[in-house]
Amino acid sequence: MGARRWIVRLTPYLLLAPGMLWLLVFYVYPSFQMFISSFWSGTLETGFTFSLDNWTTYTDALSRYEPQFLRSLVYGGAATIVCFLIAYPLAYTIAFRGGRYKNLLLFLVIAPFFTSFLLRTQSWKIILGDDGILFGPLKDLGFLPPEFRVLATPAAVVAGIAYNFLPFMTLPIYVSLEKIDVRLVEAAKDLYAGPWRPGGTLAGGALGAIVGAVLAGALTYPILPLALGGALLGVVVGTFFVSESFLRVVLPLSLPGVFAGSLLTFIPAMGDFVNAELLGGSPQTRMIGNVIQSRFLDNNDYPTAAALSFILMAAILAMVAIYARLLGTRELTSAR
Amino acid sequence: MSDQSAGPATPATTEISRRRFIQGTGLVGVSAFLAACGTSGTGSATPTPAASGEATAAPSGEPTDAAPQSPSAELNFANWPLYIDTDDEDETKHKTLEDFTAKYGTVVSYSEVINDNEEFFGTIRPALQGGQDTGWDLVVLTDWMAARLIRLGWVETFDLANMPNKEANLQDVYKGVDFDPTDDHHAPWQSGMTGLGYDSAVTGDLTSLEALWTDDPRWTGKVTFLTEMRDTIGLTLLKLGKDPSQAAEADADEAVAEIQTALDAGIIRAFTGNEYAEDLVSGNVVLAMAWSGDVIAKQAEKESLVWQLPDEGAMLWTDNMLIPKGAQHKYTAELFIDFVYDPVIAAQIAAWVNYVTPVKGAKEALAAEDPELAESPLIFPSDEVLANVKIFKSLTEEEETYFNDQFSAVTGN
Repeated sequence: MGARRWIVRLTPYLLLAPGMLWLLVFYVYPSFQMFISSFWSGTLETGFTFSLDNWTTYTDALSRYEPQFLRSLVYGGAATIVCFLIAYPLAYTIAFRGGRYKNLLLFLVIAPFFTSFLLRTQSWKIILGDDGILFGPLKDLGFLPPEFRVLATPAAVVAGIAYNFLPFMTLPIYVSLEKIDVRLVEAAKDLYAGPWRPGGTLAGGALGAIVGAVLAGALTYPILPLALGGALLGVVVGTFFVSESFLRVVLPLSLPGVFAGSLLTFIPAMGDFVNAELLGGSPQTRMIGNVIQSRFLDNNDYPTAAALSFILMAAILAMVAIYARLLGTRELTSAR
Repeated sequence: MSDQSAGPATPATTEISRRRFIQGTGLVGVSAFLAACGTSGTGSATPTPAASGEATAAPSGEPTDAAPQSPSAELNFANWPLYIDTDDEDETKHKTLEDFTAKYGTVVSYSEVINDNEEFFGTIRPALQGGQDTGWDLVVLTDWMAARLIRLGWVETFDLANMPNKEANLQDVYKGVDFDPTDDHHAPWQSGMTGLGYDSAVTGDLTSLEALWTDDPRWTGKVTFLTEMRDTIGLTLLKLGKDPSQAAEADADEAVAEIQTALDAGIIRAFTGNEYAEDLVSGNVVLAMAWSGDVIAKQAEKESLVWQLPDEGAMLWTDNMLIPKGAQHKYTAELFIDFVYDPVIAAQIAAWVNYVTPVKGAKEALAAEDPELAESPLIFPSDEVLANVKIFKSLTEEEETYFNDQFSAVTGN
């Protein structure tokens, strides 16, 4: 009897043990090591010594690499917005209009993941090449000036990040949409939910203009044309595609998916360095991930690299906490 | 040509040359980091040599055995990828190594583990610092890193009596470098030059480094500089009419300011590792600071590519064979170094790797096999060329930190 009670009591801990052990060995311990090394001083040649006085590494790193931090924030944010704009209609179509092709379409969303991350990014370089398959013909036809290019500009980096993380946005949104009971939409229609006009037209136009302007401003492109383009797109979407039942039923019910998707996109996007390396390469497109990578591997400046990693971690934690407050995680975590 | 393996490397194999640009995104970083953290007691990331029967390594160099030495059964050799002649069919077969085995009976354990000087240094440092054997008998590192190891006293001194070929055949330009005036701590493996690489179909013929600073619609925004500090700062100093072999801290400031002007003018598209070679082929880049071997390799894909020795001069860098302190098979390593200074063997290697060989007589040896390749000025630079190249000054640790910091500021690292 006694032994059995013990087993029952221990079961949860036994079940947790593998996961905890994994985290302890591969997350907690390396993090601790890294934290220690952020208080080192010295060089690889002479060896490193630990001292708490080296906290100044943090302030020095922050002030020296502030532009790269801000840029990562902007690129990560922009890529998340772009992902959302592409993923939501995609997930919606698959969930509600997919029919018997639903599984095939979902498979296609994930299919690129069967190829290596590096290879996929490298192929973007071919697509976006100055005289590549996309811009080459456009230049030949005179639609673009010969010096036009996207590679090694912020647009290329953001596009690469958005492409690479698109499934992380699409799948959570799809899951939350898929769960929605269509009878709720029918009920809304019974209660006179119709097209959203002129509200949708106005809201769409305003939102489109704001998103366009923010993206353009953040990535240092001319604001006016992008804001106008955004407004136009917003007007079309708001007028013809957004109904009252969507606004009042579907959208609110899918927010947990949007929340999860944006976190899954934004967090890795902000720390990404492969896209900035391959599609950027210019000092004006370097992200904090590139700095950490080159501090670690090229300069053997372990203390600064470790300090930068911790600053990045803290910044992301703070932003996620604020985001969670704003959007409310209670809905996400509590069973309904 | 068909039955000789002396032809130049096919483009497919030379594509990723020794300076691989992604220096190991994950594992390498972790292992370098762990190596840095490891205390001297742990073996770190380097393999421990098989506990062979050979006599214990003499900890402080000079084994003064009276008995004649004999070659060991094995030799642990660490080198860069694609940096030795390789069989077209079987990548694990290297004729040079087989020839060595045939002559001395030593099996060479050849590992292409060096992708980056600093990273590899990180893996051997703990052992060297603790006065232990690194597991390697022979390593190949670029001259500034070789200088650092020599400065730290972490390499064995050669017994030159074992190296008649090296004594006789080392090209004069390599002799008496400032980090090893007596030439008994390092032996050049291959060299390469850093100069102008361009697509002559787009840019026309260029000969001056001025082009890299000239705002011209044909190449503005399609120009790359290198992330390798010594190459980019070196060429910039040459452009400014200064001598990179005498670079002082004030020169670093000036060079960085000069690079900044090209950045501000929008001429520079990016700072790259060896991706620029791919971009030269695809047309994204038409003018670049370029390594000679890369451009030769890419000419097979795009004939209009040119590597040019600039009027102002070019940078010469050399990768050197070193015997790490405490190596188990020092004598055999010396035999190997001497072996590759045999002109025939040197020609065999040079024909495959496309870089500059430091061995006298290799050209004549190659001419017998492949006369066309032997005329390549990039594999066998003429005396005028060699008179116009500069080796970057070997910096002290403080200078190096200063140069790296200044350069980082302009490249955004």
